[in-house]
Amino acid sequence: MQVTRISPGVVKVTAARMGVLERLVIPQVLAGMLVTIRHLVKNLFDLKQLPTISYPEVKRVYSERFRGRHILTSREDGTTRCVACYMCSTACPAECITIEAGEDERTREKFPVRYDIDLLRCVFCGYCVDACPEDAIYMTRDYEMAIDTRARAVVGLRDLVVPPNFPVAPMGWRPYYGGIEKKGTAGGTGLGQPLRSAPFEDDAPPNPDLYRGSE
Amino acid sequence: MSTLTKYSAIPYTGPAPTNREAYVPKEVAAMDARGAEIAAALPGVEQETGQDLPTFVVPKAHIVATLTALKSAGYTLPLDLWGVDYPAREQRFDVMYQLYSLEKNERVRLKVRVAEDESVPTGTGVFKGLNWYEREVFDMYGVRFDGHPNLRRILCHEAFQGHALRKDYDPAQRWILTEKDVAKIIPKIDPRFEDVDTDFERVTLNLGPSHPATHGTLRIVVTLDGERIIGADQEIGYLHRCFEKSCETHTYQQAIPFTDRLNYMSAIINNVGYCMAVEKLLGITAPPRAQHIRLMLCEFMRIADHLVCIGTNLVDMGALTNFWYLFQPREEIYGLIEACCGARLLPSYTRIGGLAVDAPPNFLEMAQRLVERLPKHINDVEKLVDKNKIFLDRVVGVAPITPELAIEYGFTGPCLRACGVPFDVRKASPYLGYETYDFDVPIADGGDTFARYLVRMEEMRQSLKILQQAIDRGMPEGPVIVDNPYVALPPKSKVYNEMESLIYHFKLIMHGIQPPVGETYFQVEGGNGELGFYVVSDGTKNPYRVRCRPPCFQIYSAFPDMIIGQTIPDAVAALGSLNIIAGELDH
Repeated sequence: MQVTRISPGVVKVTAARMGVLERLVIPQVLAGMLVTIRHLVKNLFDLKQLPTISYPEVKRVYSERFRGRHILTSREDGTTRCVACYMCSTACPAECITIEAGEDERTREKFPVRYDIDLLRCVFCGYCVDACPEDAIYMTRDYEMAIDTRARAVVGLRDLVVPPNFPVAPMGWRPYYGGIEKKGTAGGTGLGQPLRSAPFEDDAPPNPDLYRGSE
Repeated sequence: MSTLTKYSAIPYTGPAPTNREAYVPKEVAAMDARGAEIAAALPGVEQETGQDLPTFVVPKAHIVATLTALKSAGYTLPLDLWGVDYPAREQRFDVMYQLYSLEKNERVRLKVRVAEDESVPTGTGVFKGLNWYEREVFDMYGVRFDGHPNLRRILCHEAFQGHALRKDYDPAQRWILTEKDVAKIIPKIDPRFEDVDTDFERVTLNLGPSHPATHGTLRIVVTLDGERIIGADQEIGYLHRCFEKSCETHTYQQAIPFTDRLNYMSAIINNVGYCMAVEKLLGITAPPRAQHIRLMLCEFMRIADHLVCIGTNLVDMGALTNFWYLFQPREEIYGLIEACCGARLLPSYTRIGGLAVDAPPNFLEMAQRLVERLPKHINDVEKLVDKNKIFLDRVVGVAPITPELAIEYGFTGPCLRACGVPFDVRKASPYLGYETYDFDVPIADGGDTFARYLVRMEEMRQSLKILQQAIDRGMPEGPVIVDNPYVALPPKSKVYNEMESLIYHFKLIMHGIQPPVGETYFQVEGGNGELGFYVVSDGTKNPYRVRCRPPCFQIYSAFPDMIIGQTIPDAVAALGSLNIIAGELDH
């Protein structure tokens, strides 16, 4: 194509001028073939440069900001950091988070009795992470969430809560506005409820397809 | 073990505190003065002052005369027509027009106020481009347009009852379309071919809604005489999700992920357009660093949009190789977007007042590498098809549109520039500092499929030129979001450790951003043309009305005019070159 300036800030694009030989079909098809053959040869002799990957044997590495499946983090004593303040469910544009709050009678501390995320409603925008004042919800780099029934798309505490000191390195989207260090545990006494014991026994069985946890 | 007290999830339902301040646009004095000048030439028209554009309230009896007068005064491009519902008023609907003058680079807004049982005379006799918009206002508000050639629902289906954008319509209401309700579309045969008697039988054929050549759920009904198309009509709305109603039931911040889904090929441009409209209403500007990142990502998205458009267009014509050559750089661009915000297709990267997070530290190096790699792919495709007779035979002179007709239909973007009209929002009303960059607006002659291909190819190179300049300038230092606790969430380090910031954090999420009361319009250059957002605020946390001007809408409404007299394969090639994105078309 040819580009000619016709006035300041405006250029006119016209078709390439073609000689007699270029007007014929076969030479141009051959010229095109040269381009594709160059690609073929390059790809054959430099397999590392191939843009395709053999998924699922090879998995693409996403950045540390990837917005994948959520997790709920825990304090060092094993209680969930979540204090059931409803910030995430308020900020959620897809209205996919359902929370029920409970209260520890000894410490008067709120914690979630039920925390459900409907992954089919979720749009993975990361607003819940931005809204959390407690550093309690992160998004992971886990993007394989295939399920076979709609009911399985609703993940609860059982699938979301990870053990304390869960490594942050494989995480995706997490609070980025400035530093991410959280000093102390806001309002927490450290007594709290033990994780994954009595309150959760009558929960639905964990969903092995969705939770790959710490292993 | 303590016993647990169960509380039910109580969503916040109390009355949100209201911002009672009135919105005063920056340019109000100049616009009021200009409006008074224009109003002097228009009989029976009343000027509305205090707006960001020259605005006039037109009695409905005068609207056709006013449109005609403005058209002859140079306001030839019908940009938009939409409605707003104020149920408390006796004349509850505002039917709003926006016209643009290419010579004067000026916009005017007209308002026609009508009551529920009133109708408006149609403007389709003056501007053909108003046809679909009037159908949309009829569909969404039930305002009738007298004399409209085909006044039926456009986005909602036939079994839909009520009008979705009326304030008294319940957004949770669902309507199910069954087969017996589906309207049968029989396209009108073009008068040029009505009496032509050929030996062929006339056949009416459905192209779509689920057809590999339509790239999205579009339905085109064509009447064929042999191989020639002699009548065509379209049906849209298969992807309609009433984005505008969803915005009204969510906060300003929550609407950003919805804008991703408009033109999902260049989602960041939608994010930027919406955020800048709300920022205009709030009277704030994003910090320089955020603007710089926004500009660079917008240009990358524009390139990605054009890559997909040209790639899929060539696939429709059987040239599959180009598709792979063009999709690889697109994947690399999405890799950069993903590194910035963690999602490839639907980034939701911007926030009102700036960006969600800063770009990664190696952003400029990644951008530089991409800018160096992209021309190779574009050149490869150029070598493959530019002089190829098979390609040229398929595109040169196919589905042409004259500049006059394109303007009357309200074309913008590459499709208008392919007709030789150098209108580009980045030049006409620069934003994000585009005026400081050296780039050219490419135009081409003919307005055919080939011209659109040429314009898009050159536009990608111009975008690369802008990107190279942006990289050379380096990234401005500073924050990426405004330091205003009423607009942006405080930094997390403060939220965790300071009471004040924690309160602001809670306040902002619970009560949202509350812009001053008023209305504004902001436009950006999207991948397909002018993408405008009109936002009305009533001072609460939810927008009173968000209107998106999707550039595809008017381009696609001209499609029958472009393909009549052509063949089906030509129509497919033309459709690809128009870059119709169903998500944006059906908002």
